[in-house]
Amino acid sequence: MDLSLNVNGRPEQFAAEPNELLVERLRDGLGLTGTKVGCDTGQCGTCVVQLDGRSVKSCLVLTASAAGSRVTTIEGVTTRGGELSGLQEALRQEHGTQCGFCTPGMVMALGELVENTADREAPTEPEIREWLTGNLCRCTGYHSVVRGVQRACSAARTEIPEEISGAAAVSAPGGPGPEPASVPASASASGQEV
Amino acid sequence: MTAVTGEAPLQGSGLLGQPLDAREDPQLLRGEAVYVGDINLPGTAHMAILGSPVAHAKILSIETKAAEQMPGVLKVATAADFTDVMPLPCIWIPGGVESHFPPHPYGLPGARPVLTGDAVRHVGDPIAVVVAETPRQAAAALAAIAVEYEPLPVVTRADAALAEGAPQLHEAVPGNLNAYWTCGDKDRTEAALAEAEVKVELDLVNQRTINSPIEPRGAVGDYNAATDEYTLYASTQGPHNHRFLLAALVLGIPFNKLRVIAPTVGGSFGTKGYLYPDMALVLLLSKALRRPVKWVDTRTGLMNSTVQGRDHRQHVVLAGTRDGRMTGLWATSYANLGAYPSTIGPGVATALMGRSISGMYDIPAAFCEVYAAFTNTVSLGAQRGSGRAEAAFLMERLVDRFAAEIGMDPAAVRRKNLVPNEKFPYDNGLGWTYDSGDYQVNFDKAMALSGYADMAARKAEARTRGKRLGVGIATYVAICGVGPSTRMSQEGMLGGTWESANIRVNPTGEVTVTVGSASTGQSHHTVFAQVAADELEIDPALVQVYEGDTLKAPYGQGTYGSRSYSMAAPAVALTARKIKAKLVKAGAVFLGVPEEKVVYAGGKVYEEGNEENAKTFADLAMAMWYGWGLPHEIEPALDETTHFDPPDFNYPFGTHVAVVEVDELTGETEVVAYTAVDDAGNIGNPKIVLGQIEGSITHGLGQALMEAAVYDEQGLLLSSDLTTYALPRAADVPFFTLGKTTTPTPHNALGAKGAGEIATVPPAAAVVNAVVDALSDLGVQHIDMPLTPEKVWRRLRGEAQ
Ligand code: FES
Ligand code: FES
Repeated sequence: MDLSLNVNGRPEQFAAEPNELLVERLRDGLGLTGTKVGCDTGQCGTCVVQLDGRSVKSCLVLTASAAGSRVTTIEGVTTRGGELSGLQEALRQEHGTQCGFCTPGMVMALGELVENTADREAPTEPEIREWLTGNLCRCTGYHSVVRGVQRACSAARTEIPEEISGAAAVSAPGGPGPEPASVPASASASGQEV
Repeated sequence: MTAVTGEAPLQGSGLLGQPLDAREDPQLLRGEAVYVGDINLPGTAHMAILGSPVAHAKILSIETKAAEQMPGVLKVATAADFTDVMPLPCIWIPGGVESHFPPHPYGLPGARPVLTGDAVRHVGDPIAVVVAETPRQAAAALAAIAVEYEPLPVVTRADAALAEGAPQLHEAVPGNLNAYWTCGDKDRTEAALAEAEVKVELDLVNQRTINSPIEPRGAVGDYNAATDEYTLYASTQGPHNHRFLLAALVLGIPFNKLRVIAPTVGGSFGTKGYLYPDMALVLLLSKALRRPVKWVDTRTGLMNSTVQGRDHRQHVVLAGTRDGRMTGLWATSYANLGAYPSTIGPGVATALMGRSISGMYDIPAAFCEVYAAFTNTVSLGAQRGSGRAEAAFLMERLVDRFAAEIGMDPAAVRRKNLVPNEKFPYDNGLGWTYDSGDYQVNFDKAMALSGYADMAARKAEARTRGKRLGVGIATYVAICGVGPSTRMSQEGMLGGTWESANIRVNPTGEVTVTVGSASTGQSHHTVFAQVAADELEIDPALVQVYEGDTLKAPYGQGTYGSRSYSMAAPAVALTARKIKAKLVKAGAVFLGVPEEKVVYAGGKVYEEGNEENAKTFADLAMAMWYGWGLPHEIEPALDETTHFDPPDFNYPFGTHVAVVEVDELTGETEVVAYTAVDDAGNIGNPKIVLGQIEGSITHGLGQALMEAAVYDEQGLLLSSDLTTYALPRAADVPFFTLGKTTTPTPHNALGAKGAGEIATVPPAAAVVNAVVDALSDLGVQHIDMPLTPEKVWRRLRGEAQ
């Protein structure tokens, strides 16, 4: 069947089998190999992309069911060799990646969390860990990733100009005032000594 | 041209020990790193493997005609197509290979063929392959291959496989016994046990686990008919090793006709150092089809084919005195090797475990015996912390049993028995000689950092919340830096285990480092650059590191046993010293002063006392490239190589403390605090090591709490994907409290001990000790891993193990 998708801002038209998975279209059809496949069962999160702004596991989405949608893959987050996003930079500083196989999926899944914290209190450590439960990492044990998110969120908040953050605080349901993130990334980091 | 040398004087060791950012990270974060699955050569065909659906059967017939006619299918192959291909060698033969010189290439009887033709011996055993135009076509055609089986009885446990009348796996291996291996002093240990004031015993199951790197394995074979050369791209942690094994021992082709390239590798933890049928198959089929052939595993495929780990059933005994001195240690272990001897699995199950069992303790008599048996399960191999984790588990469980038996604090018992400083180098009586250590300092630091003294109060507080708080200690010594080649040959390793590095100084002053090692996520490009820059006292930005391609890198054995920084990095440092020595010689010529007067410092060469008149690194690089004015005894250019074969292993160690809370109602175990004090000698890049320690502990917690490869009676792997095999997720672990001590090893130029996997060694023991502590008032003395809520809940209700 003939389908179209908007991928990283580019319209794509192609013919697809009805049972084709979105991840296959992205990797094999469009050559966007930044999205990874780590499992057969929707457990690992290496294939996470954003579909109309929400992070989804692209191994669980039929291409046909995504027809007409806006897809953002890791290739759409930064230009090739380009400057890192705030989240990527924070993960780099905390060395939130080792083999890197889980990393694109992590970045795609965490993007939603980090972006949304611009207008509310920074997520707590348990919230970050909860958010990460859809992504498996065997190398880092997640600690550096969690620290990276903490860093990214506190950076995101300190970058918000006074008046905007004031307005944001109003719209955050039950959110306390726009205090800077209470826990600087380094303070709760484990293992300063190593 | 660069003008970097000189400005910021980097004082030799100044750069090591600094947490430089990993230069690999930006491209990983942008999704730009190329893994084997991302390699698409023009004209690539795709391979799929038919694995056995049953665990044990004779193959009566294989019918491939229908599959050959499926759309897109280019070739279907079975064992009959590869009769001239040798089986996959096992190169670690327990007990030594003194009788083999030149070394016997084929390893053990029972070796796995590239495809099995006579019988299948585990679920997933490869029977046939299909190559087709697309991966989907290849996978679809597998279903059209008809195999007729005659079922055979199945055995999945090592002890059962050795029993009278057990199903037999290999004609060449009567009784399924691959090796009966021992170490230590049997008579003395028997005597110590007989005379003991106190004796405690445990029956332990160190369950089989699956490493589960997040990237499944893959391979691309590319045969070039014009040159008769093969290229293999594979997710490997030892490209040179795989080249050697494949060319010399499997395909029987000249070494220089095979190039192996490890692209970015998505984690390994031991599993990707093994030789698998697919690596040979993609090459053979690429030659047959004159097209590149690509294969990428699925998760379920990985679970049913990539080596699995641990899997010992043990009876262990500890003897001691009423006042807490340990006097004798005995371990009998049944190790499950799976269906075929993997590349080095038999050595992991024997020597790597057995010689390590006494850990940090000075025990006068110790003995270990291992029965390594074949069963109808996936082959056994290494697994992060392999062998040493199994050893630490049995020892540390025993210490707690012993402490409980004599009514002494487990920390006090441990402290009393640590190897004292004056005994280093310490012969543990089991075959290892520990290089260096200050175990008391390490232990005390862990006790202090964990707040061990306050645990009673914390237990009482937890009870008010319906939680049972338990604390568990585990110490360990992790033999690393594998290893001295001669020593390893005595262990039965067929092959040298040295490591090499080359440094080439380019005419414009940049430095190219190539190493035989290959990263699976350890940021080698960052760390080796750091080492070279540190020695040469230049800006690390000038240093570029290459590895993972046998055509470009010097020989080396690869990344395993936490040896990259304690084997390859010293090779880099030694090579840099050769460069410096040459620059001093040449500098004497260029400066016109006697060699003894020449100083190399801050990346410059000058006459002692006359630093103004220095030749910079860049000056010298260019001058050596030109070679003008050099006397005949000094060769032009700067290009040096070192093959580093250490005098002995190195022995990192440490103490971990787990604090858990067990929920009275649900049996759920939560790790609420975890303290680790590890000693890896001198550390190069603490940021990288921190990540490895944290990941390693998490991996160890996984074994304690949730991971298990479960086979049913028919030999079907029930935990064959990530819905049925539990890996720790982010919410399963807290931040850890980490500390370190530093005792350099005398066995390499950097004083570096292994680090990458060492922290995987003790967590399982620490957590089980903690949970048993939490349940001890119920009379619980041991619980087998994994400590699932159901298992703990039953024990809370007084049910037996
Ligand atoms: S590949 Fe999609 S969740 Fe694992
Ligand atoms: S960095 Fe290797 S799996 Fe996450």
